Amino acid sequence: MNKRILIISADNLGIGIDQVPYQHFEYLKYPVLVGEKEFRESETYSASWLLERFIKEKITAKSSSLSRAEMTDLIEKNVNNYDLIIHVVMGSNMSAATYNIAEEVREKFKDQIKIINIDSRQVVGGIGAVLLRLLNIIKTTDDDETIKKQAGELVTNTFSYYVTPDLNYLNRGGRIGKAKALLGSVLRVLPVIGLMGDDPEGLIVPVGQGRTFKQVNSLIINSIMEKMNEKKAEVITVAIISGDESKRDAIDSLKKEFESSIPCKKLIYGKLHLVEAIYMGPGGYSVSVCMK
Amino acid sequence: MQNELAEIKQAFDNISKYFWRHKEYVNRLNVFPVPDGDTGLNIALTIQGALTNIHGNLPDNISPGEYLKFISDNMLLNSRGCSGVILSLFLEGMTEVIGNNDFSKENILKAIENGCLAAYHGTDNPTEGTMLTLMSEFKKKFSEIMPSKENPIEIIIDCIPHLKDVLDKTPDMLPVLKQAGVVDSGGAGFLILLEGLEREYNSKKIPEILPLSTILNINRAVKNLLIKRSSGVKNSTTSTLIQNLGVNNISNARLYNIVHNVQQYLKSRYNYHNLNNKSSSRESIIKDTENFESSWNPDIRYRYCTELTISSDKNIDNQALKEQIKNYGDSLIISGKGNTYKIHIHTNKPDSVIKDSSLFGNIIFRKVDDMRKQHRNFISNDSIKYEKEQSVFCIVSGEGFKKILESLGADYVYDYGKRKPSVKKLVNLLNSLKSKNIIAAPDDGDILMSLKYAASLCKANVLIVESKSTISLISLLMGKTNEINKANFLFKDRINNITHCMISRAARESLMDGITIKKRDFFVICEGKIIISGRELEEVMEKAINKLLRNENIITLYKGLPVKGNNNLVAGLKNKFPGLEFEEYYGGQTQYHYYITLE
Repeated sequence: MNKRILIISADNLGIGIDQVPYQHFEYLKYPVLVGEKEFRESETYSASWLLERFIKEKITAKSSSLSRAEMTDLIEKNVNNYDLIIHVVMGSNMSAATYNIAEEVREKFKDQIKIINIDSRQVVGGIGAVLLRLLNIIKTTDDDETIKKQAGELVTNTFSYYVTPDLNYLNRGGRIGKAKALLGSVLRVLPVIGLMGDDPEGLIVPVGQGRTFKQVNSLIINSIMEKMNEKKAEVITVAIISGDESKRDAIDSLKKEFESSIPCKKLIYGKLHLVEAIYMGPGGYSVSVCMK
Repeated sequence: MQNELAEIKQAFDNISKYFWRHKEYVNRLNVFPVPDGDTGLNIALTIQGALTNIHGNLPDNISPGEYLKFISDNMLLNSRGCSGVILSLFLEGMTEVIGNNDFSKENILKAIENGCLAAYHGTDNPTEGTMLTLMSEFKKKFSEIMPSKENPIEIIIDCIPHLKDVLDKTPDMLPVLKQAGVVDSGGAGFLILLEGLEREYNSKKIPEILPLSTILNINRAVKNLLIKRSSGVKNSTTSTLIQNLGVNNISNARLYNIVHNVQQYLKSRYNYHNLNNKSSSRESIIKDTENFESSWNPDIRYRYCTELTISSDKNIDNQALKEQIKNYGDSLIISGKGNTYKIHIHTNKPDSVIKDSSLFGNIIFRKVDDMRKQHRNFISNDSIKYEKEQSVFCIVSGEGFKKILESLGADYVYDYGKRKPSVKKLVNLLNSLKSKNIIAAPDDGDILMSLKYAASLCKANVLIVESKSTISLISLLMGKTNEINKANFLFKDRINNITHCMISRAARESLMDGITIKKRDFFVICEGKIIISGRELEEVMEKAINKLLRNENIITLYKGLPVKGNNNLVAGLKNKFPGLEFEEYYGGQTQYHYYITLE
């Protein structure tokens, strides 16, 4: 690889920043608004901090798009040090504003540096999976068009499944999409929703629901196996499991079932960030897989 | 730019609503390629589906050209039926040109030209006298008017009278239309969309059209009158009715001629009583009525209207795809580009089409409509105006279960209480859903027989899930969401995956399955067998849970109608099984005191 490549993304990867094995990686933090006050991810203001507030204080929180100024600063800071910048962006259908800002910034710097914005069609975990696989791509090529093409294939082969015990968190954030059908059950249920990379709409879709964590974990495993069958994929190249630490038992059991049923090259225990906790809500966890 | 976009969005919404109001008019003209009466609904769903999909998902600061491209992409993905696909292809072709935001009359002409090209190229066997002809004439007329006007919308509106003439001539181009006495339905749909645009400027009304069943009934009445009554015609009630029919209210050209001819015939008989002289005319009118009737009852060679969307990681070779499936039927349209294609075909082997298509990519959408059934509905006196593509219908006993199943996503739940529904009741319920396809599931095996019979009599395509308990229905709906659009048959695999039992009370003493049951004892049924009996309800429940428990952790009690008051069972059971979670819901079932599930 001759080109110096910078990869940028944000703090909604579903993995810790320290879990990105690439030296030239920078990230932005999503603003999180609790009432009038804005917070950013830090040691104090973490996902568990927010989830605890949700339960104890019944607060509501929301996020806003990435800051244009911060994105511009980040590029400006690095423009002379690199030949190519690749920005792995949250799904444009989940946050059109963030994607548009990324596009505007790309346009602004077009005479100074080539920037590739990858619309991941993903959120929590899914962005991380695309990012980790992208690192493998840039080990083999630094050709812009090849990177774009191969990244596109990663996107359409990345699938995320989320167990969200209370869909109202997602609903309040305006991100519920077609999963609205799962709201309002008389029975206490655990909804499973998903973001399918091969769905050009890029919206949250309902996958199913269960009454127990065991049921929903099986549902997820079966859905992944069906998807592998559909995609004729023999192995998952990378999988990320992350979620609310208070549901460690359910997450561990998913990991165990995943390991015993699905061939996977790399399974990572991720980390939930402040902004991700807004939509997952208490007890939420996810698994994202890339089949390419 | 944003004002322009807002205007375009508003116009699209208004045109969609306008078309939705007139879809029945288009449905009633639908005779080609198959008289299944759904052209209007297909076009309406194509547009509405696209608008629904993009609602709330439009990127900010999108340009009008990008918006139109977004609409056309979504229309193609949501397209239904021949006309829906052709219309989407036309718009896709147009937006390839006007996606550049140049809305000059010259560029719009180029867009229309490209739209025509896309529509013709995408259709396997382009037939004149259809929507394609109107598109092609639209292109010519636009080009003809263009030098004299500046505003492209005004040019489009000025094309409408010519297109009406062309539409009126479609029966001369396509004999099947002439025989049926109608103009082309897809063409009429295309014109209504343009009129919707015109209506944005000034209000216009679409003419009323009689339901097809009424048209055929009038035709039949004429035929019967002429066949059965060789004399004394002038005195019969039917004769009087036919003589008083206002022909000018009949928009079907063929029926208009028949009624007009029979009225002349009756008048001449009344005036001259010259039977011999008029008998040949009588014969020709009878023949005319027979031909007219048979034009609406063609032999439907390929029964299933099959639509698929396939997507692949690689570019799909559409020529190879076409070769692979073209021999399975007719009306083949393959549209799309790159790695996503939409396929429409009329076939008797939908499964083979699906299987062969899957060799080229993943099937992300599929739909199979039984056109014979739709045709029967279309020509029947009590035809249903379909409003939905698919519904889930559950039949249960218990008000509580009705609410539970509705909240889990069933479109309609019928609570039959103590009396199982009759075939007639089921037919009425199935028809009342106004859905083309229905997944129907009862809570009792005894209902299956009547449901199957009702399914054969109703107007929808019904897939019966052979569930035999309410708990099966809960299990079914728990995983419904992702599969309903793709593979209904997968439902069947999931109906028995919740461990459960039922508790009732004996009305008399008996010995069953080796268990002695005394009068007023509670007894537990599991998988059709009695497993436990006893005097005290809580004790019986405890034993049942102990017997059935493997590694479940949630026990749910669904209370039935026979249980009076609050017996605080859950609190008692929680003490007995401290490691388990207990929940109680009102099911309202009439036969059993409790259903118990272990999950």
